[in-house]
Amino acid sequence: MVLTPDFATRPVISFQHVHKTYPTGTEALRDVNLEVPEGDFLFLVGPSGAGKSTLVRLLIREEKPSKGKIFVDGVELGRMKRRKLPHYRRKVGLVFQDFKLLPNLTVYENIAFALRVLGEADHSIKNRVAEALDTVSLYGKENTYPANLSGGEQQRVAIARALVHAPRFIIADEPTGNLDPATAWEIMQLFLRINARGATVVMATHNREIVDLLRRRVVAIDAGQIARDDRSGRYHDDFAKSEVRAQ
Amino acid sequence: MILRNLKFALNSAWQSFWRNLAVSLAAVLSITLILILAGINLLVGHALSQVLDGFRTKVSEISINVSDDTPLTNVYEFQQQLAADPRIASVQFITKDEALKRFKSDPQNMILAQQIEGNPLDAKLDVQVRNLDDVASIDALARKWSGVDPTDPTNYQGDFVNRMLQLSQWLELAGVGLLIILLIISVVIVMNTIRTAVYHRRKEIEVMKLVGATEWFVRGPFVIEGVMTGLIAAAISLALLVVGYEPAVVRFKSDIGFIPLSYDPAFISSLARDLLLAGALLGALGSYIGVRRYVRI
Repeated sequence: MVLTPDFATRPVISFQHVHKTYPTGTEALRDVNLEVPEGDFLFLVGPSGAGKSTLVRLLIREEKPSKGKIFVDGVELGRMKRRKLPHYRRKVGLVFQDFKLLPNLTVYENIAFALRVLGEADHSIKNRVAEALDTVSLYGKENTYPANLSGGEQQRVAIARALVHAPRFIIADEPTGNLDPATAWEIMQLFLRINARGATVVMATHNREIVDLLRRRVVAIDAGQIARDDRSGRYHDDFAKSEVRAQ
Repeated sequence: MILRNLKFALNSAWQSFWRNLAVSLAAVLSITLILILAGINLLVGHALSQVLDGFRTKVSEISINVSDDTPLTNVYEFQQQLAADPRIASVQFITKDEALKRFKSDPQNMILAQQIEGNPLDAKLDVQVRNLDDVASIDALARKWSGVDPTDPTNYQGDFVNRMLQLSQWLELAGVGLLIILLIISVVIVMNTIRTAVYHRRKEIEVMKLVGATEWFVRGPFVIEGVMTGLIAAAISLALLVVGYEPAVVRFKSDIGFIPLSYDPAFISSLARDLLLAGALLGALGSYIGVRRYVRI
């Protein structure tokens, strides 16, 4: 089952005239307006340095916008108090290109880590990690260390860690960047499954084949601005002329 | 949940302490040395205050010499006036005869006593002043009294007392200054040790923050590790100081006999409390500062 995002309802993620200029003077984003409804699956595409990663960093509140407002679930991220930030991040599942696994922890411990910081009880951690391992088809690899896993398996562990606390949003920054095409496709299947369960997925990617095959919403960023926002788009604009535009 | 977080923090701190054993031991050693210096400072301060207390009791006692022609009623009146003064603890009237008896009974005066004809000594009022700072004003009061011996009014040596008082204040200040310097040095040492540990674990901290750990959840293990380092150092320095305290006092006593030093076992418990508390607090403070930059979300 694929959930159809409801564009008529209030968006769960909303960028309103967002600008981001770094202290070095680099203007990473210029007047970005973007609305993401609950259950959406959105690809952020664009050349390197276009501003995708800045957008992701703003979404996880690693950075604050220089101008404009970002609302997630009705809360303005720029005005969120620091002590509230951990609670916000618990609603988000993060997946990165470099997996960000802890090498001295086993697969089980890496996934459990996301629950330990929430102060979950041991028995609950055990059950939820088992569920997450099942979702990413890594059952039986609990006691393996990341160094003994393939790239695809490591990314699956990272995805399991991202979804083990049942987040409402999954934000992924180039999750297939280090993977071969077959493995990348497997990982994408996982994201689709997570999205089908109701989680909103925002994914920055360079993977043209996947974007073109899945035909999900595509937001293209170029030179810090939104160049294109297609509801069912392709990686490049010239393939998408006949598509329905979201805005 | 708090207990679970505490358990996690304790485990992490313990693991980190052993994982970076070389750095941890270097920190323990440095803080031990500093706490030994701080402990010696406290012990010397305590010995000095014991000596000064003895000295204070001595100099806060003044004798007012009574002129021979002063009527007894006049002396009693002044004695009562002094006894009523809240600054004065006690007043004792020593008659001429008693003064002579005391003089003769002192073995140091034996030869001199044999040569004395009659009684050249004054009767006197021995006054015990409560507070050392008031001795000068009591002395001034005594000098104004009509019955005082004008040639040798009192035995008060203002200059000497003032100098001793000043010296004791300077010593106290120097002790506190030295203690502050030592404490700052140990905070910096713990801070740098913890920074090294934090640097080794920066990836873990990044992941912690990304999965929604609170600042205290990240900071907790490091602060506990700092407290552990401080407490181990305090325990070692305390053990060394306790072992060395008595022999050091005995040695000093035999070398510099005129300073009335004494071994005070009761002070060890307060020294233990101070060192352990200082160790724990320094460790916690050093870690808190050391980890602050990395932990900030």
